[in-house]
Amino acid sequence: MSDFRNNLPGYQEICQEIKACRKYGIDYTMDRGKTTRLVERLHPRRVKLRVSEIITKTPTADTFRLVARDGYLPPFQAGQYINLYLDIHGIKTSRPYTISSSPRQTAYWDITVRRVPDGLVSNYLLDNVLSGFELESSGPAGNFYYNPLFQGKTQLLLAGGSGITPFMSMIREVTDAGLDRNIHLVYGNRLSTDIIFHAELWERSLRHFSFHYHPVVEHPEKHYHGRVGIINVDMLQEILAGEMLDSIMICGPQAMYEALLPHLWQLGVPERRIRHELFTGPGDITHAPGWPPEVSPGSTFSIDINGRQIIPAQAGQSLLTALENSGIVVPVLCRSGECSQCRVQLLSGQVYQPAGVLLRESDRKYGYIHSCQAYPVSDLAIRLSS
Amino acid sequence: MTDYDVVVIGAGNGGLTAAATLAQKGLQVLLLEKHNIPGGCATSFCRGRFEFEVALHQLSGLGTPEKPGPLLNVLDELKVGTELNWLEMQNLYRVILPGELYLTLPANREGCVAALKNRFPEEQEGIDGYFDLVYAFFYELMRAFYMKDPEITAEKYPLYFKYALKNTAEVLAEFLHDPLLKLALSVYWCYIGLPPSRLSFTDMAALLFSYLEFKPFHLQGGSQAISAALLDQILQHGGSVRFNCAAKGIQVADGRVTGVYTQDDVLIKTRAVVSNVSSLDTYTELLDPAAVQPAKLQELGSSTVGPSAFTIYVGLDCDPQEVGITEATNFICTGTDMDYAFARCRQLDTGDDALLLTCYDLVDPSFSPAGCAQVVIVDLKYSEPWESVPPQQYYQTKFDLAEKIIKRVDSLYRGFREHIEEIEVATPLTHMRYLGHPGGAIYGFDQYAKDSSLFVSHRSPVEGLYMAGAWAGSGGFQPTLNSGVQAARAVIRDLGRIAR
Repeated sequence: MSDFRNNLPGYQEICQEIKACRKYGIDYTMDRGKTTRLVERLHPRRVKLRVSEIITKTPTADTFRLVARDGYLPPFQAGQYINLYLDIHGIKTSRPYTISSSPRQTAYWDITVRRVPDGLVSNYLLDNVLSGFELESSGPAGNFYYNPLFQGKTQLLLAGGSGITPFMSMIREVTDAGLDRNIHLVYGNRLSTDIIFHAELWERSLRHFSFHYHPVVEHPEKHYHGRVGIINVDMLQEILAGEMLDSIMICGPQAMYEALLPHLWQLGVPERRIRHELFTGPGDITHAPGWPPEVSPGSTFSIDINGRQIIPAQAGQSLLTALENSGIVVPVLCRSGECSQCRVQLLSGQVYQPAGVLLRESDRKYGYIHSCQAYPVSDLAIRLSS
Repeated sequence: MTDYDVVVIGAGNGGLTAAATLAQKGLQVLLLEKHNIPGGCATSFCRGRFEFEVALHQLSGLGTPEKPGPLLNVLDELKVGTELNWLEMQNLYRVILPGELYLTLPANREGCVAALKNRFPEEQEGIDGYFDLVYAFFYELMRAFYMKDPEITAEKYPLYFKYALKNTAEVLAEFLHDPLLKLALSVYWCYIGLPPSRLSFTDMAALLFSYLEFKPFHLQGGSQAISAALLDQILQHGGSVRFNCAAKGIQVADGRVTGVYTQDDVLIKTRAVVSNVSSLDTYTELLDPAAVQPAKLQELGSSTVGPSAFTIYVGLDCDPQEVGITEATNFICTGTDMDYAFARCRQLDTGDDALLLTCYDLVDPSFSPAGCAQVVIVDLKYSEPWESVPPQQYYQTKFDLAEKIIKRVDSLYRGFREHIEEIEVATPLTHMRYLGHPGGAIYGFDQYAKDSSLFVSHRSPVEGLYMAGAWAGSGGFQPTLNSGVQAARAVIRDLGRIAR
């Protein structure tokens, strides 16, 4: 076959162009690793950290100050978390912790850990980790941050207990950098001694007219003079005294969401501008609404993985935890049903999935579940593709 | 002894169709994907009540049951054509130049021509002439290439010979005068990434013809539905898939592929590799450059990395009509000079850019929760300016530049900002992160005529290595889905000749 291209008007000219382009072209072998480097300075898969200092905040909570072993911490948005990867007595697991330090300083990240009864990870960190310890985390992640594109300047932040951490980062950033925002923080705790960051919040509210601090304590001790009770809409209306809000953010225990979310519209903020941090589920999932009553907390199930291995799982334990307890490492980031890293395919059996799990439409169709927020309620067969 | 007949690296469109074809033909195939879900660009992500479509705007080449297009045949053969719910779009697009032009073009020749003539009555003859040419040119193209004419001559294909290597701007100027009319007929340049002055008429004519004759489509569940269906086919036919597992290298012995190293340095022995990774990474990272012929590296060096995008994904808590969005596909321009619009792609700033605004709910009312709408705004951008934004200024820069776009969109669609419930901004670095592509490029290399298959063979010089995806052909859904099938066919043909 004769080459018709030689007869195409313009063909020879382009061939000449190509010759020139090849002669003076780019040596892409010099760019080896460039894409990864560019991505890693913003979104590293792993950050190697060292505990530089442990700051006791309350009788039950410590702040761990983390520095980068190689001196570089990637940027984050106030409100985002890191997932700490740990090996606790041979079990490889992880927990997400919100960064409470300001994103404007790049020397360290602060995370605050509160003791949880039977909390494998929190107790390990509080009891075993000393300054100088080396830890490893994910890069910063998460979608609970202030979005200037639609959240407006005047905000009500509602925190409960250790739910203060994302707001602490935001408040530090806004007050230190003098940002044009107006923040009301209403912060509920059981006891006044539980209030993390109380002195600092108080002091910042005195120095910055755009930040208003309203602690609320359920069971006040004798010396406590602040607001008393459980946060409710009437209290919020009194605190706001008619000030118009642009948006509301809320972070705290499940009970706080249940008590407040249905009523916040009364503050005049449309639902689209009321944001809550992820549901973490109640302490005991077997008490969650919709949990099958015939499945008692003591039940044990077997999980068949790829038809090759069978592991046990306890009712009330997430599939992810069951996998981790059997030494199976699944990639994971948020542990709250949002990021989809830990997804697996359910081939047979039943799981309980609490509200707030973000599944794609195609996941539903083909039976993919997020193992961190899927609780076995029968024997299962799953496909693990990693 | 090998572990697999074929290892496919990357589960983008090309990797998925390659692996599905190979598995269906009974080959032992392993698909490696570094991300946790299949699709590459063809994917979605969830925020609140919304599942956002990442990349598919208007699927081309599908056709209707009465008149199936080339892509439908490909998907039918893969057994995913009929199980997906395809949604035909009635219009090509609405082109908007505030204050000057608001014109919707239907997705059929008669309607499109009528709409143009109605708006530009003084150019009726030129409009007819241009459409006649696009159609006659494309028919010649099909007869010459799809029908594999053994002897292609200027006498048989006069229009093809005359126009094949002309650029789109030249051809438009031959028929049309009003810059607004030329704009109205060339906004699809954004789907290829080169302005009419640099875009080959062949590419533009094929695009326009394909959308007019085979219609633009969306589908229920978005592009992730295609990816999930292809993955299901791979698994059903005994294929193996590993997510969260990147390939680190391709092993070559005596000029022939012998294995793939995973990220954990495990060697998987195989007879063939289909790489759905960018050709730059395939030849400079996965292969030892010393094992690659210098001519191949020189050939790569003559191509330039194409544009990425600054993309804003918005969930609204109202019906699209409430803010005045009445078309699924809208090109929002700032002027008639498309060379200027293209030059803006190299700027960080977004204040004066051509935008594509897509609202899927107008095609599929079930796409978002009831009473909600999903809007995606795309601004083509090269990654270079983003590469020098200091990490500490990254988020602020991202919001400032998104703000400029939202402000413009809000002035065009009153109440838009007021109804935002979710919003996520992706920069070229975001696309780089999730695609792993150099420059975060969404269409692979810049698609100049010199880089087209008329001049460059995308065949790999390494035996047993096959390329699939945008970097080894053209970008977009139809070409990349097809590229994997072609790669798989080449594998099957070649492996058949080599004893196990």
